[in-house]
Amino acid sequence: MQTTIKGLRFWCCTLAGSASLALVPMTTAVAAEDTRVNGFYENATYGREGVGLSKFRNTLQLEGEKRIGDVGIFSNVSINGTLRGTYDGVYDLNKDEYGRTAGGSILLEDTATAPNPADYVPHGGGIAPTPSFGFDINQNPNDGMIVLGENLHAQDGGVGFGVPVRPCDVDSRGCIDDYLDKDLNELRFQEFNDRADFIRELYVDFDLNFDSGNVLSTRLGKQQVIWGRTDLFRVLDVINPVDFSRNNIYDELEDIRIPMWILRSDYRMGPTEVFDGLAFDDLNFQVVWNFDQFRPHDIGQCGQPNVILDAGCFFRGMNNLWENGGTVANFADGSIATDFGPGQIGIRKAHMPGWSLSNTQLGLKLEGVYGDLGFSLNALTYRSQLPSLRGGIPAQNAFTGDTGVWPALIAFDIHFPRVNLVGGSLDYYAQGVDTVFRVETAYTSGEEFANTLREKLYSESDVVRYVVGADKNIFIPALNESQAFLFSGQIFGQHILDHEREQRLLGEAGIPDWEQNWIATLLIKGFYMNGRLSPQIITAHDIRAQATAVAPSVEWLVNDHFKLTAGANFKVGDGARKFDDCRTCNPWDPFTAAYPGQPAGETAGLSGYEPLGRFQSGPIGMAQKEDEIQLTARYSF
Amino acid sequence: MTTTTNKSVSRWLIAGCTAGLMSTALMADEAVVTNSFYPYNTETPSFDGLKAGMVIDQSNVAQFKDAIDPAFYGFIEQGMTTITVGETTSFDLHPNYVEATRASLGQVALGDEVGEIEGWSAGRPFPEEPDANDPRAGEKLAWNYKYGYNWGDSAAIYPFYWKYRDMDSGKVERTIKFNFHFLNYKGRVIQEPTPEITPNPSDLFRAIYVQVLDPADVRNTQLLIHRAADDLKRDNSWLYLGFQRRVRRLATGQVTDAFLGSDLMIEDFEGYNGRISDMDWTYKGTRYMLMPFYNHNDLTLDTDTHSDSDGYQVVAFGGQGGCFPEITWQLRKVYEVEAKPVDESHPLSKRVHYMDAQTFTIPRTVSYDRKGSLWKTFTIGQAHPDHHLPKNKGSGVSIDDSFSMIDVQASHCTTGQFKGQVDPELSPPQMFNVQHLRATGS
Repeated sequence: MQTTIKGLRFWCCTLAGSASLALVPMTTAVAAEDTRVNGFYENATYGREGVGLSKFRNTLQLEGEKRIGDVGIFSNVSINGTLRGTYDGVYDLNKDEYGRTAGGSILLEDTATAPNPADYVPHGGGIAPTPSFGFDINQNPNDGMIVLGENLHAQDGGVGFGVPVRPCDVDSRGCIDDYLDKDLNELRFQEFNDRADFIRELYVDFDLNFDSGNVLSTRLGKQQVIWGRTDLFRVLDVINPVDFSRNNIYDELEDIRIPMWILRSDYRMGPTEVFDGLAFDDLNFQVVWNFDQFRPHDIGQCGQPNVILDAGCFFRGMNNLWENGGTVANFADGSIATDFGPGQIGIRKAHMPGWSLSNTQLGLKLEGVYGDLGFSLNALTYRSQLPSLRGGIPAQNAFTGDTGVWPALIAFDIHFPRVNLVGGSLDYYAQGVDTVFRVETAYTSGEEFANTLREKLYSESDVVRYVVGADKNIFIPALNESQAFLFSGQIFGQHILDHEREQRLLGEAGIPDWEQNWIATLLIKGFYMNGRLSPQIITAHDIRAQATAVAPSVEWLVNDHFKLTAGANFKVGDGARKFDDCRTCNPWDPFTAAYPGQPAGETAGLSGYEPLGRFQSGPIGMAQKEDEIQLTARYSF
Repeated sequence: MTTTTNKSVSRWLIAGCTAGLMSTALMADEAVVTNSFYPYNTETPSFDGLKAGMVIDQSNVAQFKDAIDPAFYGFIEQGMTTITVGETTSFDLHPNYVEATRASLGQVALGDEVGEIEGWSAGRPFPEEPDANDPRAGEKLAWNYKYGYNWGDSAAIYPFYWKYRDMDSGKVERTIKFNFHFLNYKGRVIQEPTPEITPNPSDLFRAIYVQVLDPADVRNTQLLIHRAADDLKRDNSWLYLGFQRRVRRLATGQVTDAFLGSDLMIEDFEGYNGRISDMDWTYKGTRYMLMPFYNHNDLTLDTDTHSDSDGYQVVAFGGQGGCFPEITWQLRKVYEVEAKPVDESHPLSKRVHYMDAQTFTIPRTVSYDRKGSLWKTFTIGQAHPDHHLPKNKGSGVSIDDSFSMIDVQASHCTTGQFKGQVDPELSPPQMFNVQHLRATGS
């Protein structure tokens, strides 16, 4: 299931190693003002309740800058590079959870009293009412698996199926080509992959000065381009995809943005009078052309410690169902564990956009300062970095053996649709309350959502997102007489404008995501010992999901080189939620009708935790059982 | 005829009297300018028993109590440091600044509210001697500082080393390497364009840009401060955080917070880096005091902290905890000014500034906490430009060359070692835009 370029990893390792060896001596030898080389080694060790070690990541990062100065018509020419290599020992030290011996045999719920009176059947033990049902247990053995969502919830009368969790070179079941197909070394050494991620950044900067005093500043190369003014949430900051497998949503975006090969040019006009009476303190026009081959977010592969929304597990389990067939809990009649055959339900493949001019991504930004107001206007056409599951693919009718396109059949391909975004941001300092306010908003068209009311089980919707944030420093003399605490609060709102939801016979159906939802965050940060000891607490609350994350931490700068950070991440709230799971979508009418006369492809709304409840639980709720304690040590040089 | 003759005589008499009056007025004006900018032309400061070359220490400090501010006196009395006395020398400001002052003499006046000023375009707004009976004398001195020649039209501290020190153990806890850049938008007298950079849509008076070079955890942190010409308007400040790669607007509250964990708040920069209208100013008196003025090139310098191709070295530090610059001090004419924050939530109850009368720099400041207890003392060593880097010679800038901010309550200090460069190429206007923060960040 994996696609690798033979020998590339070897060359990547060799190149990174050589570069590291070449650069390390320079850290002391290079003192010239036009050259800088520095870096850090970091160990991040996390422990998770009920799991044990969930991270033992060792990172070596080297950063270099060479200022060249003027070259021909260009000024301020410089070359920057950042190399990063990591080894996460969790796959070796806790291999029963995350490595080559992870998972095991599973039981799937069968709530019906007949034909199987037991409450559970093993994988492979479901009913097969026609010859087309059933699968080869040798091809898809009951080993190395977990039940989808088992870390968060019981099957509780809902859908469930087995998900292989071992690295893809150990167990290739459910690994989706070019998307979620990491082998053990790619999990251990995250950056040493086919996209040469160990070259974290490599770009050249150069300016072109005009007689008017305006400057065209260009950065060309592998880089991060940051838009927006908010923390944690990405409303405008969507140019680079993000690696959520590193630490879900909780790492600094700086560390988890996936750099891309991009041309970024800024026409810097500085103070500008556009016309009489309208003058800006600063005005800048930016063009961003992401000409790299498309990359989606890294949502985490099932078997990794961090799988945002547990989506990677859903996808892997579904791909395994498509490739090999499998047992689905409580399926037939909504209660009988059923063995499906290959090519009947599941995820067939991911359509990864190849490189073509039309697949590149283009952004425009006008940014400036007008009086006390900072502003930006943004527009971007890009590919969704989140996957969309589109039904309507040809699949076998397990009752008739015919292959065709069946309405509302849970058989999908993964697509990454093109999305157009327009938006803007503002910041403003309100003197009266000594508070900085930040606003960021985006309107997108082209995003796709799961939708059990549609034949292809998805629909497109325009979406409005926004963040309103406020930053204020408050002295709390009882806690610190000399330095104020930073309070930073944000409300993130999402409105799905073409939301569809209907009440059906057995429950609600439609788009599982909330039509309107908000997540509130609050950061409180203090400083002691001249800023060398900094406690902070971050809280995030998903209002509709009723899920809360609390992340306290203390950062101690032992000296200019050595930093220790101890923290924790706890969640409280409702956790898993149920939604229409399409067991009653009646794709193979009349065999799958939930009630007499049920139209084909029209759901009756029977619900369970899997697979769509995750969209209501959100990233916080879906990680409810992932409480952690965390210790990070970094030595910078 | 008689009438005609009488009229002619009258005309001549009036003309003669007017010319005489004008001449007297011009002479008076010139005396004001001379007294303000060249106070040592006619009078050399003296203090009983004080001589150039002597060292004031624990054993003899009591004799010079009136020539030393009380906080520094306390340090010497406790044996934490000493003062080596140097000759008083004239720190002549640039003639263009003096001429701008001369040109606007008598045209500048305070407005009705603190923070309002009228008629100023360049130069020292109130060169006259402060009058103890003038209730707004302190405010006028504050304006003289704000519109002082300070770093000139633009300059850079390039680089600038801050060391956080435990005053008890002497341990250097942290060393931060910066570049600081200053640019005046208005009141410019030397560097083109004069007197103002245009366009200037927000009617800025001054901007400060700071970039952190080291250590790694704060590298590329950048600070930009825009100060409006209208003193009643608050600064706009932005911070670029290297680890976030994002520009954040700062709430003004953060300018009274410890800057990057140091013992300085942004408001402390250069002696006072806030609005005139943020304080109630009181002139407390004029006297000769020992102040940290010296010739950089005559000092024994720090050979470890900085080295570069032009051989420049920074000022060395010693004394208790390494918190005191190893410099010489001059007996100079000083205005003592008290500044009390208007905002009751300000962490200070007052600052006492000791302003140098010739340069209107603030080489010594003593700060008191909300309870009125001594909290911090700030020393900014002033180096003569003609005995510093060759490029600074003739600049007429009293070079900020070393600083020490001591938190006496925490027994902690932050020291600063400068390479001050009066060089417009290091501080182009494009550097003082928000976009520059983003462009520089990487």
